[in-house]
Amino acid sequence: MKKNLLCIFLAAMMLFSLASCTKTQISSEHLQDYVFTLQYHDNFNILQLTDIHWNVNTSAKSSMTYLDKLLKEADAHIKATQGADAKIDLIELTGDMFMLANSYHLNTFIDYFEQKAKEYGFVYAPIWGNHDRHCLYNPRTLATKFKEAEHCLYFEPTDDLYGRSNYVINLTEDGTKNTAVAWMIANIDSGAAFSETELSVFRDYDYIRPEQTDWYISEHALAGEDVPAIAYYHIPQDENEKAWVDVTENGAQIKNKFFKLEGFADNGNEKYASDFIDRAKDHGLKAAFMGHAHNVDWTFEYEGVVIGLGVKTGDELYFAHIDVNSEDKAVKAGLADSGITENFDLIGASLVTLTGKDGSFELEHLYFNERENGDFSAWVKW
Amino acid sequence: MKYMFDKNNSVLSGLDSKQKKQNLIVTLAVIIFFILSAFTLMNFLYCLSDCIGSIVCASPDVSGRDALRSLPIFLSFFMTLSGLMTAHTFYRNESERILRRKAKKHSGIGAVLGVIIIVYVIVMRINGRYLSLVEGAPSALYPLDSVLYAMLFIAISIILRIYFRHGGAKKFCGPSRPPVQRFGRFIRSFFRTFWLLIGLYGFCGFFYSIFIVDFTNGYLPYIIAMMLVSLVAFLTIAIWELCYNNLNVETRKKATLPLAFISLVVSVITAVVYFLALKGNLDGPSNVGFGLLPIAFSASVNFATLLVVAMPIIVSVTALFKGLIRRIKAKK
Repeated sequence: MKKNLLCIFLAAMMLFSLASCTKTQISSEHLQDYVFTLQYHDNFNILQLTDIHWNVNTSAKSSMTYLDKLLKEADAHIKATQGADAKIDLIELTGDMFMLANSYHLNTFIDYFEQKAKEYGFVYAPIWGNHDRHCLYNPRTLATKFKEAEHCLYFEPTDDLYGRSNYVINLTEDGTKNTAVAWMIANIDSGAAFSETELSVFRDYDYIRPEQTDWYISEHALAGEDVPAIAYYHIPQDENEKAWVDVTENGAQIKNKFFKLEGFADNGNEKYASDFIDRAKDHGLKAAFMGHAHNVDWTFEYEGVVIGLGVKTGDELYFAHIDVNSEDKAVKAGLADSGITENFDLIGASLVTLTGKDGSFELEHLYFNERENGDFSAWVKW
Repeated sequence: MKYMFDKNNSVLSGLDSKQKKQNLIVTLAVIIFFILSAFTLMNFLYCLSDCIGSIVCASPDVSGRDALRSLPIFLSFFMTLSGLMTAHTFYRNESERILRRKAKKHSGIGAVLGVIIIVYVIVMRINGRYLSLVEGAPSALYPLDSVLYAMLFIAISIILRIYFRHGGAKKFCGPSRPPVQRFGRFIRSFFRTFWLLIGLYGFCGFFYSIFIVDFTNGYLPYIIAMMLVSLVAFLTIAIWELCYNNLNVETRKKATLPLAFISLVVSVITAVVYFLALKGNLDGPSNVGFGLLPIAFSASVNFATLLVVAMPIIVSVTALFKGLIRRIKAKK
């Protein structure tokens, strides 16, 4: 009996050891592995969908109906402003696609985006959010499904970088690695959360680690020192809060727009301030877009980099109701210059259009609400 | 300690073939309903955590909408729990009168909840809150699967009523196990219910981790510690119910102290292992643990894990006191 128990225990330990013995890749030695390429053209359209938050309480049917309408609206807007041949080229899913979801949601979600990718002719690129790890499916399954999906760009090596998945999408002249890069899009996993000590009661949100910044700089050097770049990730870094304090308390005159109706839910601790923006701005970074805080889509310009949160997509978990008669300062500030005169919910999408290889781009926020007496739709330019 | 494994010291000794058969069926029913309760508890906690999340983020309207949509999931847990209680009443078999009264009560509650679920789904479908009877999410057949599940419990309740009408309580001859003591009944019931919930949670934590934890992405010490904590939380109640309560009265009294001591040592070691593992994997809970601990995740704290870690210790300490008091009384 004792021998049998010992055998079972040893077998279990061997299985555990085998499971954890995957070879770790040194990212700096395999920079090309992290690169996807797409063909660049002027007016390259990137639609950012963030914090969709499918969960156990979600009606997949109802959420897909919303997404159907949203994509239709974005496509129609692009065609109306750029011509009939223009389309959504890339969808950036900037984290928290799921929270407390299961395999059914995962499969349905990927099937849905595959179907829409065929219909509209886009590819999509998922980025990990903190909540994508908090589900009833195995994260490995999510990674495998994304890797296998025909229209999905996703890379997840076992490497020395923090996070599950960091990769770049280079927009090149012919869509291959053989021609010059016009734009680099970096998709970064900003992690989930951590405790300062094993006895900490609360947890801190994660941040982009220095080795991820190093990796970005190396990838940028590989693409070309003059190549403009955009970074997409999930959790806002310390620059957002600093800029907000500068604008609201110190009266700093920096360009800023849209809504900030709650905190950024960032790490907030100077000790863990990320070096990403500070260092990446000297390496082609023109913009950084993220998600995470649903009641915020506030965007600002910081030393030549446009930084902002995307508009939360869909009505899961929580979102802000905007009352145009509100006396709240933040609501008033957000409404200023928006031209919106009726109440609406702060949900929709964000559209970035790359207008030239010189690093120029346009940014628009779409507020899209389903309504029984006709859906509400408002595009607000940055 | 050998006396604990002596068949003659068990309530199962001397059973005839009919009693053995009935005992086997009832024990299997307890195990099946325990597993079903654990799974429905996890669904319950997932739905609840999301609703709490919406409230914490100042969106009670979203929370209310989601709670209405998932009401059959919430009720399914209580319905399954009523099934577990019914099976457990047969398992304990305190007396013919108690068996009839309690089994009818528990299965009746299950049937009522089942009827509420069916009526609720029909009403929600008619008023358009459910877009279809197979709307999808959290399962492909939701909410139809809730209706089918509810029908199963209504059927069980009807079968039990017929069984009792035909003298089932008299015919049932499974072994009797110790009754719940009258002294401090309310506190005992509260404590045992809480212990049961932690046990169910522990079972799910261990079982689900086999499938939903990515063993290839680091955090292995934390994963093992988390699985160990869950397993110990489940084992304390499983051993108590399936082993300790199978001993006859005298042997139980003798076994309390050594069992409590062993349980305490195991629980404390588990707790120490958990904190050591956490120390080396400070981002472990949010990367691999929160799928297993939705409530901990929902509250944004690590502290909730302590409930699962602490419960076996509390149970062991309580049993240790009980054993010591018994020994002192026996000496007097």
